[in-house]
Formats: sequence, C-alpha cells, structure tokens
Amino acid sequence: MNRLGADAAPARGDALIRLFHVSKSYQAGTYALHDVSLEVGKGEMVFLTGPSGAGKTTLLELLFAAERPSEGQILVLGRNVAVLREHAIPALRRRVGVVFQDFKLLPRRTVEENVALALQVLGTPTREVRSRTFAMLKRVGLQHRRHHHPPSLSGGEQQRIALARALVNDPEILLADEPTGNLDPELTLEITDMIAAQAARGTTVLVATHDLGLVRRYRKRTLRLESGRLEEDVPAGAWRA
Amino acid sequence: MRRALFQAAWLVRAALRGLRASAITSGIAVATLAVVLVLVGTFLLVIANMNLLLERVGSDLHVTAYLEESLSADTRRELARRVADLGGVHAVEIVSKEEALRRFAERSGGAALLEGLEENPLPASLEVRLAPERRSAEDVRAVSEALAGMDGVEELGSSQQWVEGYARARRLVRGLGFGLGAVLGLATLLIVANTIRLTLHARRDELEILSLVGASRIFLRVPFLIEGVLQGMAAGVLALALLYGLFHLAVPQLGDGLELFLGWKDPVFLSLRDALGLLAAGAGLGVVGAAAALAGERLP
Repeated sequence: MNRLGADAAPARGDALIRLFHVSKSYQAGTYALHDVSLEVGKGEMVFLTGPSGAGKTTLLELLFAAERPSEGQILVLGRNVAVLREHAIPALRRRVGVVFQDFKLLPRRTVEENVALALQVLGTPTREVRSRTFAMLKRVGLQHRRHHHPPSLSGGEQQRIALARALVNDPEILLADEPTGNLDPELTLEITDMIAAQAARGTTVLVATHDLGLVRRYRKRTLRLESGRLEEDVPAGAWRA
Repeated sequence: MRRALFQAAWLVRAALRGLRASAITSGIAVATLAVVLVLVGTFLLVIANMNLLLERVGSDLHVTAYLEESLSADTRRELARRVADLGGVHAVEIVSKEEALRRFAERSGGAALLEGLEENPLPASLEVRLAPERRSAEDVRAVSEALAGMDGVEELGSSQQWVEGYARARRLVRGLGFGLGAVLGLATLLIVANTIRLTLHARRDELEILSLVGASRIFLRVPFLIEGVLQGMAAGVLALALLYGLFHLAVPQLGDGLELFLGWKDPVFLSLRDALGLLAAGAGLGVVGAAAALAGERLP
C-alpha cells in the first residue's frame, strides 16, 4: 500500500483526470475536500472509498462540473473545470457518463426514452437513437423492458437503466456514485461487472463506494478519502483477496 | 444541419409533452389569453369597419349649395358652370326641387314624412364633388367660402363636419382599444409567465437530468419558449373562432344599432391581415411570457 503525503500524485502521461491541490469548502474553515492531488489514466478503473462525508461525492461532482473547486485546478479531458465557462459545461458532460446512487430516472418516461435522452440532446438522428438505445439495453439485459416505466422495475433494473444512459453515447469517462449502494450482493456484482467491462473497453472509470468487500474482490486501484483528505492511493492488485 | 433538425424536432416534441403534462394550467392560460384577444379583436373589428365607412364617405364627400327659389333654370346652369371652374371641383350636379323630393322619398321613412304636404318644401341645389386629391378639410372650406360669396346661393351643407367628428370617434375607439389591450396584455403576460413557471418547477427533475447528460442552456430553455408560442397561437385561433361566431350571431340582432354606431348595416369581419395580426399578438404574448418566466428562474 502506498500512503500519501499532500503533494503526492502519481505521474501518468495519458491521464484523463488530473487534480492539483484541490480543495472544496462550502463554509469558511470547513472542507469537504482538502488539498487533493491525483491523476487517473485512460482506461483505468479506480475505486474511491471512505466513510460517509469523506468527500467522495464532492470529488465526483467536481469532475463533471456540478461544483467548482474553492482552490486548486482540475483537468478533465484536457479542460480546466475550475475556470470552465457555463456554456462549455454541456460539451464536457457529453464526454462524461454519470451514474447516481438515486438513479435519477424520469418516472413518466419509458426505459427506452430515459436511455435515449443522452443521445437526443446531441441531435442524434432518430433511427440511430433507436438502434443504439436498443443495443445498450441489450448489453445491460433490459431490452425486453424497454417500454416499461422505471417505477415498475426493481432497484437493480433501475440502476442498469442509469448505467445504460451513462454509457449509451460511449463516454470517455464514467463516474459512478455508490452505484450498488441500494442493491443486494448478487446485483452489486452484476452492476460492478458491467462497469469493469466498460473500463476494459478503454473508458476511464471512477466508482465511489463504501463497500470494501467490493474493492477487495475487484483489486483495482483504490483511493481512500477521509474528512476530505486523500489518505491512501492503493495500486491495482495490492488488495489481498 | 441534419443534427440541428433532429434537435429542433425533439424540442418541439418536448414542448408538446410539456403542454400535455400541464394540460389544466396551460388550458387556463390559453383561455385567459383568448378572452383578452377577443376583446382586442372586437376593437379591431370596430376600427376596421369605421375605417371602411370613412373611406366610403370620403369618396362621396361633396358640398351642397342650396339655391334661392327665384333662380331660373338658365341662371342655375350658369351658376353651375361658374362653380365647375373653381379650383378643386371635380363635378357639379344640378338637383332640381323635383329630384330633391324624389330622393327624400326614397330614404327610409321619407315618404311618410311627406304625406299631407301640398307643395314641395325642398330647394333646388348644386351638388359639388371635389377631385379625389382635394378632399381635405382645407379644400372643402375653400370651396365652401367661394360658394358662399356667389349670388343665388342661399345656404351651404357639407358632410365634412360629420367626417371630422367620425374620425375623432375612430381615434378614440382606437386609443381605448390600445389602452385596454396594453393593460390586459400585461396582465395576461403575467398569467402566461406564471403558467410556464409552474411547468418549469414541475419539470425541474427532468431539466436537471437533461443538464447532467449534456443538454445546453438553449436546449433546456427552448421547449418553454415553444410552449409559450403554442399557447399564444392556440389562444389566437380560439379567439378568432369566438369572434367569428359572435360576429355572425350578433350582427343580425343588432341591425339598426349598428347603423347608428357604425353608420351602416353590413359590417365586415376582420381582414386576413388583421386575423394574422391577432394570431401573432397571441404568439408574441406567449413567447414574452415564457421568456419572462425563464429570466426569473435559475435553471440547472
């Protein structure tokens, strides 16, 4: 295991995500994130662990520009999120897929419509939207549910819809915030397998989780946050099974 | 270009979906807007018909010189020749006492008034028509003054005063229409803005999700502007249909009252230009209301 000092950040030439001494404070003197520096390379899958309130969600929110850092610089896909203008945020988000713990699905839209949203905002032709959405739903095993509405589906199925929506436009980065937080162990593995498969396809993946069992099982690089500080950066394979 | 078309189609579908999702509040906004447009349309109808009447009267504008009883037919003809030479005069017609009596009898109720009269009380006259380009108040006055100074002319009559009074009434109606339209339009604007604001709050989750998957600010806002336009146009169509129905129901009932107020019995409906103007006003109110709602809200 590799314990970190505040300045430590492994150098990666092909990093898609780079944080330089990033802090986020919502109230003066209180930090949700404090002096975090790190890099994540292309196609790398990284677990982000730590107790509730450690700063995992804040870190992810900074990466898709839902929040701006109070200090430091963040480079995502070569764009500096700290100074990114409002009108440039949508272009960044089209290259970053996000899966939320609460799924964030539209209850009155069908499964197919929920997934298609990510393509429709790009102006993708209708026929292409249909074929890509169907292919994505097939990949997550929900093609037979495409005309259903999310509230009529199980938690695992809803999370798979959220994953399908995040991946349907083939993002370069996938961010998942506690994607298995509400799921039973079997579904947890099912969803995590899908996420790992996406990393194997070359997508850079960051998964926030407090499930250490999951982290040990997949033996991926793991960043441990505590009270907003990056306490540990454990390289892939260093966890004991 | 192709992508822009697909995006536009999606935005229109999103707007229609939004209208369906808030059918009751949208319906109330459309109905309110339609009532305002009916009122504005009514003023437009009155003004359009007053304009038509003014044009008709204007083309018939003439000065009547009533002649002394003692003038012989030759003297009348000589007088008519002199009047025809005056500047701005287009034509002069000699109306004999008999012709004047016949015309009076033809008017509604005229024959009844003449019953029991032993001799013709109406004077002979000269009807002086002005050239179309000389039908201003100043020209009428100049010709009247010239006629007044001629021997054999007893009295003068002209429709000029009536025309001027009527034009003033038209200006008043138009001003009232604009004033009322502006006040009601502003009130309606607030109603449309509030309706869109309610829709916006109801769809906040959807907007947040769209924003998270990379929808641009324009993409988030345009459906609401389209909703405003569609509401306004729906109100415009409804208002035109109501106006048309009311017009055809009311005109036969009002008959003489219309003749008294407008000066004729057969008013016409709004022209295509006025009807399109009313539709455009509805669409304009809708889109401005929507823009006001969006300006006051912070979207994701």
